[in-house]
Amino acid sequence: MRRHSMSAILLVAMLAVSFGIFAQTVGHSGPAKAQTIANTPDLSGIWSRRAGATGPDFLSNSKKPEPLMTPWAEAEYKKVRESYTSTPTGYLNDPVFNCVPPGVPRIYSIDFEGIMEIIQLPGRVLQIFEFDHYVRQIYTDGRGHDENLPATWMGDSIGKWEGDTLVVDTTDSNDKTRLDRLGHPHSDALHLIERFRRVSKDKLTVDITIEDPKAYSKPWGGQLAYALKPDWKLMEFMCQDNHTFDQFTEESAKPAN
Amino acid sequence: MRHAVISVLLLGVSLLTLLEPLSAHHGSAVYDMENMTTVKGTVTEFQFSNPHAQILFDVKDEKGNVEKWVGETNSATALYRLGWKKDTLKPGDQVTVVGWRSKNGTATMHLHKLMLAGQELPMER
Repeated sequence: MRRHSMSAILLVAMLAVSFGIFAQTVGHSGPAKAQTIANTPDLSGIWSRRAGATGPDFLSNSKKPEPLMTPWAEAEYKKVRESYTSTPTGYLNDPVFNCVPPGVPRIYSIDFEGIMEIIQLPGRVLQIFEFDHYVRQIYTDGRGHDENLPATWMGDSIGKWEGDTLVVDTTDSNDKTRLDRLGHPHSDALHLIERFRRVSKDKLTVDITIEDPKAYSKPWGGQLAYALKPDWKLMEFMCQDNHTFDQFTEESAKPAN
Repeated sequence: MRHAVISVLLLGVSLLTLLEPLSAHHGSAVYDMENMTTVKGTVTEFQFSNPHAQILFDVKDEKGNVEKWVGETNSATALYRLGWKKDTLKPGDQVTVVGWRSKNGTATMHLHKLMLAGQELPMER
């Protein structure tokens, strides 16, 4: 009985402490958030490339010269291109078609739209992509890269504001993704720099620079143009949705009799 | 099999120029882009899904033989944003379908246009 009373007192004490901490957190995050929003440009909203895409692919396309590749990247790219074009359904060799995570920057080329919502929090900017609802965290609280992280699909992203531009520096990406729809490879030494700038109320540009000395002999990149979609909501677009479409694709691509 | 599903999500490689907006998710090699096919049919099923919505419809020839067709179009999310609803197409609806037929001659096509009761439904091409 007595032990029970003690437990009850302890429980009440613990709850009181927790609430105290919680109340403090809430109390502090309010002003912090207001300050962040007041002091940094507002990139938040739902953005789509469809109404402002710069071309078939933001990094490279048939009209743009190829980047200068190292022998490794050149061989890798050649292999990929051949596998994409040797059969009517060769493009299925793109890992993304197997629901392999696209990573960054490949995710921007999904479906020509790269639809995403940007959410700004104190110390953090979130990108939520419509495709498979991938979430990317960009830390803007002054921390540096975490040198101990394992390589990941999205990499480790640190952002800082330079005037009206959010500059995002990404390292620690794994080498399982390709950079774009054409299949340009990258290594685990990829260093990605993105510059997000809201050029007008309805337009956002993202300038992308690829630095990867194992794959490219000099930095290269391109620009994405996004349009604000104030009336949209982020929807669900799951990679493995329509299995009937499997049959359709096979049917429409099988050799003629 | 699985990769076929996803095929759909992104573009085939060879369409990086003019054909691109049309065949955003497929290799143009699959479709006969030179010739447009028009057929009239009766909807049997509407799959309002990602990565592409599909319309299944029956086409009857002069002799009364029924051929089962499948047409694929934009993603459900894109169609929703163009104003489509789950019941925009219902079994029994009479439709005129214009599109690029598969080169292999199967009754499959990528849609260019769809007319329902004399009205063209909005579609991104």
